[in-house]
Amino acid sequence: MAALLEVEHINAGYGFLQVLWDVSLKVEKGEFVCLLGANGAGKTTTLRTIAGFLKPTAGDIRFEGQSIAKTPAYQISQMGISFVSESLNLFTNMSVRENLLLGAYRVLDKKKQLQALDFVYSLFPRLKERERQLAGTMSGGERKMLAIARGMMSMPKLLLVDEPSLGLAPQVVVTVFEALQTLRKEGVTILLVEQNVPSTLRITDRGYVMEQGKIVLEGPSKELMNNEHVRVAYMGI
Amino acid sequence: MEATRVQPSFLERVMLNMRARPAAWIVIAMTLGFLVIIGIFAGPSQLINTIVTGGMWALMAVGLALVFGVMNIPHFAHGDSFMIGAYVAYFVFTPIQAYLRDNPNPFLSAVGPLIGWIAAALVGFVAGAVMEKLVFYPLRMRTRRGWVMNTFLLTVGISFVLVYGANLILGPNFRGVPNYWNVPPIVIGSVRLTMERIAAFVVAIVAIVAFWIFLSNTRTGRAIRAVAQDEMGAEMVGINLNFIYTLTFALATAMAALAGASLLFMFPAYPTVGLKPLYFAWYVVMLVGLGNVQGAIVGGFIVAVLQTLTQQFFGVSYEDVVPVVVMILVLLLVPNGIFGSEVKGIQEQ
Amino acid sequence: MSMERTVTQAERVSGGLWEGIKAVLARIGFSPLGVVAFIIIALLPLVPPFNQEHIMRWLVMGAFLGAQAVAFDFTAGYINVVNFGFAAILGVGAYTSAVLSNTLPILIVQPGLPPWLTIWIGALAAGLIGFLLGMLTLRLRGIFAAVMAWFVGIALMGLATNMPKLTRGSLGFAPPPLLNTTNNLPYYYVALGMLLLTYICLRLVTNSHMGLAFRAIGQNIDAARASGINPTRYRVINFTLSCVFAGLLGGFYAHYIGSLTPRTVMHTSKTVEVLALAYIGGRGSMWGGAAVAFPFVFFIEYLRSNLSQLPGLHMVIYGVLLIIVMIFYPGGAAQLYSTIARRIQRRAKGG
Ligand SMILES: Nc1ncnc2c1ncn2[C@@H]1O[C@H](COP(=O)(O)OP(=O)(O)OP(=O)(O)O)[C@@H](O)[C@H]1O
Ligand SMILES: [Mg+2]
Repeated sequence: MAALLEVEHINAGYGFLQVLWDVSLKVEKGEFVCLLGANGAGKTTTLRTIAGFLKPTAGDIRFEGQSIAKTPAYQISQMGISFVSESLNLFTNMSVRENLLLGAYRVLDKKKQLQALDFVYSLFPRLKERERQLAGTMSGGERKMLAIARGMMSMPKLLLVDEPSLGLAPQVVVTVFEALQTLRKEGVTILLVEQNVPSTLRITDRGYVMEQGKIVLEGPSKELMNNEHVRVAYMGI
Repeated sequence: MEATRVQPSFLERVMLNMRARPAAWIVIAMTLGFLVIIGIFAGPSQLINTIVTGGMWALMAVGLALVFGVMNIPHFAHGDSFMIGAYVAYFVFTPIQAYLRDNPNPFLSAVGPLIGWIAAALVGFVAGAVMEKLVFYPLRMRTRRGWVMNTFLLTVGISFVLVYGANLILGPNFRGVPNYWNVPPIVIGSVRLTMERIAAFVVAIVAIVAFWIFLSNTRTGRAIRAVAQDEMGAEMVGINLNFIYTLTFALATAMAALAGASLLFMFPAYPTVGLKPLYFAWYVVMLVGLGNVQGAIVGGFIVAVLQTLTQQFFGVSYEDVVPVVVMILVLLLVPNGIFGSEVKGIQEQ
Repeated sequence: MSMERTVTQAERVSGGLWEGIKAVLARIGFSPLGVVAFIIIALLPLVPPFNQEHIMRWLVMGAFLGAQAVAFDFTAGYINVVNFGFAAILGVGAYTSAVLSNTLPILIVQPGLPPWLTIWIGALAAGLIGFLLGMLTLRLRGIFAAVMAWFVGIALMGLATNMPKLTRGSLGFAPPPLLNTTNNLPYYYVALGMLLLTYICLRLVTNSHMGLAFRAIGQNIDAARASGINPTRYRVINFTLSCVFAGLLGGFYAHYIGSLTPRTVMHTSKTVEVLALAYIGGRGSMWGGAAVAFPFVFFIEYLRSNLSQLPGLHMVIYGVLLIIVMIFYPGGAAQLYSTIARRIQRRAKGG
C-alpha cells in the first residue's frame, strides 16, 4: 500500500533560483511527521510545492497514489490537503466564524460544516469566544489558532503546518502543540515544519532534517533526538 | 440556512466603519441635511429625482468597486456595460410593445419591461464572462506585473471596441423607450411620480440588497470577498480563483446592464450613452475609496445629492466642473476616500 | 599583438567620422535607419501618388498624431502615469492660441496676435495647466493620477463648452490660419518640424540623467524614493514637459484645421486614440508611436473612404489591436522592430 503522500526527487525554486534539490519524503496515513532545518533551508518551499503554490521542475509528488505535481493549488486543497502557511493568509476583514466557514468551502454539506465548527471550537475554545471578531484584529496567537482551525474545517486527509510556534509566547506554543496532538489522536495526518526542535521531536513519530535544500537525515523522532548531528546543530547540546 | 448570524449586519458594518472614520460621519450627515434642504427648497420632486439617481449611481458604482476590489481592475468599460443593457432592453422590449399594440394583454404589458430588464442582465452577465475569459484571463496567464495599469488600458481598448462596434452595427441614432408602461403618473400632493421612475428605483434597491445578501450570506459570495482579501488564502481553502474572477466580472457587468435597461426611459440607447454613468460611477468610487463596496452604495446617494445641488445652485453646465473640485478636496483631505480603500493591490504602482 | 592594434586603430580612423555622426544621432534618438526613414517620410509628398492634396492632408494628420504619441509616451512609457486628460490639455493649447489670435467679432475679445506667436503662448498655458495638474495628482498612485487627470480633462472640456463668449462653446469658431496658403505641403513641413522638435527635445531629456530617474520612478516608485529620487518632483517635471508639447501641437492643429470645437479636440476619445497609437507603437520607445502613426492614418483613411458603409470600423480595429498588443506583445511595434533587426544582424554575422 502506497503512503498517503510521496514526494519523489523533486527540484523546485523561484524563477532561476533553485531551492530544493532532489528532495524525497513520505508521510504514511495517520503519521505525525516533522521537517526540521535551519533558516533558509527550504522547508517552507517544500510545503509550498506540496500544496501546489510552486511547481516542481523535476520529480513527482503523489497523494493517495495520484500525481499532484501539476495540479493547481485549489484542486490540491479540494483533494484533502490543508496548508497552514507561515503568513497564515487569513481573511482579515471577516469574522472568525466566516474565516472558519470559508475553511470548509469545499464541504458542501451544511451539517458537516457545523460539526466541523463545533470540533474546532472544542479544540480552541478561545475562538468560540471571539466568534464575531474580525480576524485582522485578533492577537498573534489567536490568529495562529484561527489559521490552524481554518485548515481543519474541511477535515483534511493531510495537514501541512508551517512553523506554528513562530513568534508565540511559550504558553501559547503549548496550546498550539497540544491542539496538534489532539488532531493527531483524531487520526489526522500531519506534516509539521518547526524550528522548535526538542518539543517537536517529542510529539512527532518521524522526522526529516533539511539542509540547503536537501534532505540530509531522516528517521523516527526518538532516534533523531539522540542523533549527534541533530543535538549539536539544532538543540545546542 | 446559517444557524446564527455569521457577521455584522450592513448597518453594523457601516457604523463600525464610521466610528473609525469621522469624515464619513460628517459627509453622511451633510448628505442627509442637503437632502432635506433639497426637499424644502427645490421641491419634493427634486428630492425623489435625487434619490432615484442615487440608486442608479450606487448600482453602477457597486460593480466598479467590486471589480476593483476583487480583481484589481480599474474598469473603464463599465459604462459600456450600461450601454449593452440599454440596447438589449430596447431590442427586447420594442417587439413586445409592438405585439401588445395589436394584441392587448394587461399581464404582458405589466411584465413586458421586466422581460427586457432580465434579458439585459443576462446578456450583461454573459458578455462580462466572455470579456473576462477573452481579455483578462490571457493577460493573467502571461504576467501580473503592472497589472493595474495594464488592465486599465485593456478596459480602454474594450471600451473602444464596444462603442465603435455598436456604432458600426447599430449606427449612431438614439433608441429610447419614453414609457415602459402606459399608466398615468401617480400624483401625491404636488409630486408627480411616473411608474418608470419608481420601477428604476425599486430595481436599483432590490438589486443592491440582493447582491449584498449574496455577498455576505452565501458560500460563493463569501468566496468572492475572500478573494478580495487574500488570494493565496482563498486558494488554500480550495477556491478556484479563475472561476471567482469570471463570476465577479460577469456580475458587475450584469448590474451595469440592468442599470442601463431600467434607465432606458431617461437615457436612450446610443453608442456613447455609457460615458456619463461611467463618469459618475468613478466619481463615486474615488470619493468613497477604491474597492469599497459598502462605501459605493452610500456614495451613490452622496454623489446624486452633490449633483442636484450643483444643478440647483450653479446650473447644469457646471456638472462636469464641480466633481473635480470635490475630488480634489477629498484627495487632499482623505486620500484613501471617505470610507477608506479596501484593496489588496493598491500598493502596486 | 601590436599588429592587431594598428589594424583596429586604422579602422577607427576611417570609421571615426561615421562613428561620431552615429553618436550624435544616438543622442537625439536616431539610428541611421531612423534618419533614412525620416528623410523618406519627408520626401514622400514630392512623389506621386502622395503629392495629391487629400493624401498630403493624411500625412499632416500622421505627423500630428505621431507627435502626440511621442509626447504621450514621454509620460506613459517613462513615469508610468497615463495622462488621461491629454487631449483636454492639448485643447487648452489650441484654445489659448486660437483666442489670442482671433480677429473675428464673434468672440468677445479680438487680440489678433500672430498665430506664430500664440501657439507658443498656448504651449506655455498648457504647460502651466500640466504643472498644476501634476502638483495635484502626482502624489497619487498611478491609477488615481490617471482618473484624476481624466476628471480634470472633462472639467476643462466642460469649461471650454461653458464659456460661449470666449469660445462659442460647442458651436465652435474659426481660428486664423497659420500659413498664408491653402496648400497642405507647407503645413506638412511645419507638422514634421514639430514632430522632430517634440521628439528631439523629449529624447534629449530622457537621454540625460533625468531619463534614468523617470524610468526608476516608473518601474518602482518606492525603490526610487528609497534611493533618493524625489518622485513627485520628477513626475511633475515630466508631466509639465509633455503638456507643453501637447499644447504646442494643439495650437498647430487649431490653425491648421481652421475650426475648433471642444468635442473635436478635447474629448476623452481623442486621448484614447493617442494612447492606443503610443501603445501599439511600443510603450517607452517614443519613436514607435510616431512611426506607426503614418501607416495608421493611411489605413484609417483608406477604410474610411472605401468602406463608408461601415463607419467606425477602423476604430474597432484600433481597439482590438490595442487589446492584442497589451495582452500578448507589450513591447509593440518597437519591440517587433528590434527583434527582427537583431535576427537579421545575427544572420548577417553568421553568414
Ligand atoms: N518568494 C521567494 N522568492 C525568491 N526566493 C525565495 C522566496 N521565498 C524563499 N526564497 C528563498 O528560498 C530559500 C529557502 O526559503 P524557505 O522559505 O523555503 O526557507 P525555510 O526553510 O522555510 O526558512 P525559515 O526557517 O526561515 O522559514 C531562501 O534562500 C529564500 O531566500
Ligand atoms: Mg519557512
